[in-house]
Amino acid sequence: MSSVDATPSGLAPSPIARLIERWSQRHGECITGHVRRPAQPARWCEFPRGLAPALRAALAARGIERLYSHQREAWDHVAAGEHVVVVTPTASGKTLCYNLPVLAAVHADRAKALYLFPTKALAQDQVAELLELNAAGTLGLRAFTFDGDTPADARQAVRLKGDIVVSNPDMLHQAILPHHTKWAQFFESLRYVVIDEVHSYRGVFGSHVANVIRRLKRVCAFYGVAPRFILCSATIGNPREHAEALLGEPVHAICDSGAPCGERHVLLWNPPVVNPDLGIRASARSQSMRLARHTIRARLKTIVFAQSRLMVEVLTKYLKDVFDHDPRKRERIRAYRGGHLPSERRHTERALRKGALDGVVSTSALELGVDIGALDVAILNGFPGSIAASWQRLGRAGRRQRPALGVLVASSAPLDQYVVRHPEFFAAATPEHARIAPDQLLILLDHIRCAAFELPFTSGDRFGDGVVDDFLAVLAEAGVLHQEGTRWDWIADSYPAGAVNLRAVADGNFVVVDRSDGKHTIIAEVDYSSAALTLYEGAIYLVQSRPWQVERLDWVGRKAFVTATHADYYTDAIDYTRLKLLARFDGCNAGQGTCHHGEVHVVRHVSGYKKIRYYSHENVGYGPVNLPDQELHTTALWWQLAQPVLEAAFASRQDALDGFLGAAHALHTVARVRAMAEGQDLQKAVGSGDAAGFASRDGNGRGQWRNAHGEAVPLAEAGSFTPTLFLYDNFPGGIGLSEPLYRAAPELVRAALELVEACDCNGGCPACIGPVLASDTPQPSQAELAVAVLSLLAA
Amino acid sequence: MSTLNDRLARLRVEAGAGALSTPAPLLCATTPTPRPRDTLRALLHAREQRRAAPRPVLAAPAGVEVAAGVYLVERTFAYAANPRLMLPWLAQAPIERSRLVCFDTETTGLAGGVGTRAFMIGVARWRADRLTVRQLYLTTMAGEAAMLRLFNAWLDPAAILVSYNGKSYDAPLLKGRLRLNHVDHRLAELPHLDWLHPVRRRYRGVFENCRLATIERQALRIVRDDDLPGAQAPAAWLAFLRGQSSRNLARVLDHNRQDVVTLMRLSDHMTASDPAAP
Repeated sequence: MSSVDATPSGLAPSPIARLIERWSQRHGECITGHVRRPAQPARWCEFPRGLAPALRAALAARGIERLYSHQREAWDHVAAGEHVVVVTPTASGKTLCYNLPVLAAVHADRAKALYLFPTKALAQDQVAELLELNAAGTLGLRAFTFDGDTPADARQAVRLKGDIVVSNPDMLHQAILPHHTKWAQFFESLRYVVIDEVHSYRGVFGSHVANVIRRLKRVCAFYGVAPRFILCSATIGNPREHAEALLGEPVHAICDSGAPCGERHVLLWNPPVVNPDLGIRASARSQSMRLARHTIRARLKTIVFAQSRLMVEVLTKYLKDVFDHDPRKRERIRAYRGGHLPSERRHTERALRKGALDGVVSTSALELGVDIGALDVAILNGFPGSIAASWQRLGRAGRRQRPALGVLVASSAPLDQYVVRHPEFFAAATPEHARIAPDQLLILLDHIRCAAFELPFTSGDRFGDGVVDDFLAVLAEAGVLHQEGTRWDWIADSYPAGAVNLRAVADGNFVVVDRSDGKHTIIAEVDYSSAALTLYEGAIYLVQSRPWQVERLDWVGRKAFVTATHADYYTDAIDYTRLKLLARFDGCNAGQGTCHHGEVHVVRHVSGYKKIRYYSHENVGYGPVNLPDQELHTTALWWQLAQPVLEAAFASRQDALDGFLGAAHALHTVARVRAMAEGQDLQKAVGSGDAAGFASRDGNGRGQWRNAHGEAVPLAEAGSFTPTLFLYDNFPGGIGLSEPLYRAAPELVRAALELVEACDCNGGCPACIGPVLASDTPQPSQAELAVAVLSLLAA
Repeated sequence: MSTLNDRLARLRVEAGAGALSTPAPLLCATTPTPRPRDTLRALLHAREQRRAAPRPVLAAPAGVEVAAGVYLVERTFAYAANPRLMLPWLAQAPIERSRLVCFDTETTGLAGGVGTRAFMIGVARWRADRLTVRQLYLTTMAGEAAMLRLFNAWLDPAAILVSYNGKSYDAPLLKGRLRLNHVDHRLAELPHLDWLHPVRRRYRGVFENCRLATIERQALRIVRDDDLPGAQAPAAWLAFLRGQSSRNLARVLDHNRQDVVTLMRLSDHMTASDPAAP
């Protein structure tokens, strides 16, 4: 539903209802939708028959006398020997879905269970909870975390004595499976494997984890066990399919929560138009800050989600300027993001649980089930890119039986504008599907290598869906396997799991070293992929909104040396991308042009950075950046129009180029919706196809042609001119995005054409063809040029 | 045309500049593309045709085949010594020298984990003024289970294991491989005297380091002739297995034999030179 109707019927208005009412009176035009989810009463079931009295007593001591319906459903299906995936909201008692069957098995048979969480912090929360339950019922349960922080002398005790070992996929991959004989006792009695937060195992990380699970099952089979898997997930569109893709087996999905929840309001908020001529809206940032000030002043605990680490720090500064300006008073606002040191994050989590903070600004880092207690209001500064992630973040607000408020504040980005202008879409859309590609060549080879280390292969063996023989032959050629008859044994002097990272952590990370006043303190860690964009020399690096300036970047040594500073600006990197076609796998006609799918070489170059002043957000300077280019071989699909077609359709090369840039923007938007990809996973580019030239927009939103060195060149001097529009997978080797997009290419072009034609802007806007300035109102407009390109490509 | 290996190597570097990290996770579409597999197969096909030549099988450098793929080399040396010795590290009472099983393994590497295996096990035992060194080694991978079973059979219930760093290296490694090959064993039950720690306590700061080779030279005055450094053992065995050369595998046998003889000598040295130890 999308009506703006803020008056709750009956009861005395809650602070949230009052706020909504006030906002709709004063800013009614900003609220494009009001989604209401009614309160839901609890649905109860009795404890299963045969639940051990000790366990009953432990639960009773914790105030649990009955089960929610979904907890009972999980018990029944696990008891029937099925794998299950539980998909219910935050704070719905998900953990009992797996703890109950596990504790019963430990209690009755001394069976063992392995719990996997995506982060160490979640694992530690879980052990604390298990130990409380254990203490409540004197169950004699032994639960341990096993992670990188577990001291060497404690590891043996964990292996031999742990009933429940709580770890993460990275440790399973690097420390447990490659030493499985040390865990023999544990594996021989392993009955349950619990994997929480499976929605976070998607994309590349998920594809790795699926392969780690294949290895786990292979090792389990060696020890003669076939454990049941109990998975939990936040809301995604395809929980069963995703769970089955991870496990490679049928899984029963439990999606109906029996837990009670309070009423939930979600407002879709489009910032007001501040320049009607140019169609420019107030920034999402300024609106989010205004809303957060209101809610915090109304004594509502508020979380603000921002899209980037940089934006988290900027917003934290703005809120601190309002609420934390008096150093004698307790701190009311904190930032929370990846890159902060673990101790700092734990500090913020504790403060949140105790209710000591009034506001927290976070990246997606708090989407996961980190226990931070419940909050009242969630403000999303920008659409997180998917419906699933939106609900996950909105779900951070809401205590049982109390109303919760969420506000999605749209930025000028096309997806954001699409969502707030189509409130019915937001209310009704099924959350996105989580996708993995466990058979991606590079990932599969990595894990077959690790698996061969753990147990020898026999020709004809299967790993996941496929037969491994080809891979074994490649590995034998590389000298890491030795073949004898049909048997393939590991032979190399290496530890393959050590060389395979499941995600961008560990070795690739850059540390940020504070050298102010002769100190030498690590203040943050930055992963490899974002280092070039955040740690160039001259960059302002923000931690808890305090600025540090990067003095020196040691690229090889993975260190950035910074000193504290008092800059009134922050910095944003300027980067360029050029692509070269390497191989065509497939091609077809696309209208009067062509569409291809193939392999490309991508070079990303950070050329400099902008200095942006706080509050005014004006550009106050530029600086150069001198860093190695980042290269990538990946798969892409691309469209081209031949020169004669271009010459016939466009008055100038400039027009054609502007049209291509606009078309690229629209195609990228619809492709992202179609592939359900997050922004950085699927990238777009316009270039010449041979890496000789590439296009970007200048300050006025007009196309600019640059040569391989990034220097602007007049289009007339660019030689032959075949602008090429690329959409590519942002992962070495590709991750399977571009191929299905290629198959759907005609539909993509049609959808992009509709998007631009149906946009009610005048000549182009960020919601359709990207940021353009309509000040000089060129004829034809950039939107018309984009439509021309898309029409030529439409079949 | 680039080979699959080059291709994979290149993709690796891009995935994190040497480290095998990956960029931020990304979503991907439903169907895994069939293309990479096909590419892989096509590339492999080309490869397989090129390397059709069968591997030559070399003759084992020494010993007799006692099981399929397992050779035994046995040598006996005169070794006049007291049939009992005091090992206060293990027990207050004198210990029968014949119970000592001085052992050392040669392995496929130092990387650790279940994928590292022993391809040679040397054992020295004393009886009636004679020291017998028996060495088992593999000429095929498939012989491993048999080799481990033979080794385990040598461990009578009264045996006392004697090693150098064996408690943290050789024994855990053998236990892992025994488990992997489904061989029940008594390795874990037997007393184990690892000389590394007593030697460290006595000689730390006295010699440049406490590696067995150093202790052997400095304290026992043993000089080895044409010794193959232990670090080259994995390559020597691989060269044999791949049919390239058996010369260095013979030198590994010599090296390993000297190691276990040294262990017995070291036991006497440690006992004799400091009767009050530890």
